[in-house]
Amino acid sequence: MQPVSKLTRSNKGRTACAVVLALAMGVTIPPLSAQSVDSHIPDLAGIWDGRPSVRPVNGESVPWGEDNFPVLNERAVAYQQVWEEIMAPKYDCQPASSPAIQYDPYHMSVTQWPDRVMFRYEKDDQLRTVWLDGREPSSTDFSIQGFSVGYYEDGALLVTTTHFVFDIAGFDDYNGIPSSPQKVVTERYWRDGAELRVTLTVEDPMFLRGPVSYTTRWLPAAEGYRLAPYDCDPESSRASVRFFPSKYK
Amino acid sequence: MSIRRWIAAVAATFSVGFALMVAPAIAHHSSAPFYDPEKRVEIEGAVTRFVFRNPHAFLYLDVIDETGVKIEWQIELGAPVGLRRLGWTPDTLPIGMVVKAAGRQSRAEGSHGVCCVRMTRADGSPILEGGRVEERQSPR
Repeated sequence: MQPVSKLTRSNKGRTACAVVLALAMGVTIPPLSAQSVDSHIPDLAGIWDGRPSVRPVNGESVPWGEDNFPVLNERAVAYQQVWEEIMAPKYDCQPASSPAIQYDPYHMSVTQWPDRVMFRYEKDDQLRTVWLDGREPSSTDFSIQGFSVGYYEDGALLVTTTHFVFDIAGFDDYNGIPSSPQKVVTERYWRDGAELRVTLTVEDPMFLRGPVSYTTRWLPAAEGYRLAPYDCDPESSRASVRFFPSKYK
Repeated sequence: MSIRRWIAAVAATFSVGFALMVAPAIAHHSSAPFYDPEKRVEIEGAVTRFVFRNPHAFLYLDVIDETGVKIEWQIELGAPVGLRRLGWTPDTLPIGMVVKAAGRQSRAEGSHGVCCVRMTRADGSPILEGGRVEERQSPR
């Protein structure tokens, strides 16, 4: 892996002073710089297995169960009441997003570059880019996967994702909990021996009374494994919808 | 057959069988909203279409009911992204091949769907040689 240039959290104040001084001196400074090599960057790169042999399969009580199920506000409860399974946009091939895609029972790959980390999910062919170079989202950066920025600290990658579009099943489709553009997802990735682990936290004041978290893991994929294309097919995606006894006519 | 070869054969059978059992666990959605676990159905018919696409593969059969009427049934299978690793291909179930399937019937009134199936060839043998014939229940 290429070495990474400097910008840790603790250096931010010093960097800001340097920028001000440099500007005062009329020096041109590149607008962005990536993070330093001395902040103990963990090796997260590789293909990781998140299938049912590695962790429990997602569902009504996984990963949001008795211990960590969110307290919903009245608005979220109202959405739950009108919700039914076939409203989930996944039946039209809309990809899963955070915090669900991290727990889907598939493989993912992680690629670390000096200025970014890329998470490629086999499920739904999704690519998330976590920018390490200090850039910030613009007002037009809303998307299904949102806009992710991050940094390394104490042997972990810390990611913050904002700018999600509204999603009627954006927190959890098994329980019919939506998410809003106010959703903020933070993730902390680290290595525990051979495992890759993450603690993920969701805040969304539009629907949740407070932040909620889960921790999960991946194991290294079998040697030689390559991610398969998902290529969601709209006909197959909707084929079982007609078997659902809808409460709406 | 020597002990060693016998152990190898048993291990291979179990590994392929186990792999086929877990294939549907790589699922896109729960089966419960669409299929009733208390309503079991057994069907036998000829393949008219095998749609081997993600998020779920679907098999369509022409089944003759007790009154002699031909009805198309739709069988929901696992995700091809997982099934492929177990040896399934779009050609595994060719048009005209007769299969038997038993599983949970679809919930909507008058519908003809089934999931979570135990499926065999007409003679009762596994669809894939060496494989098991029963899917594990889809996760919730």
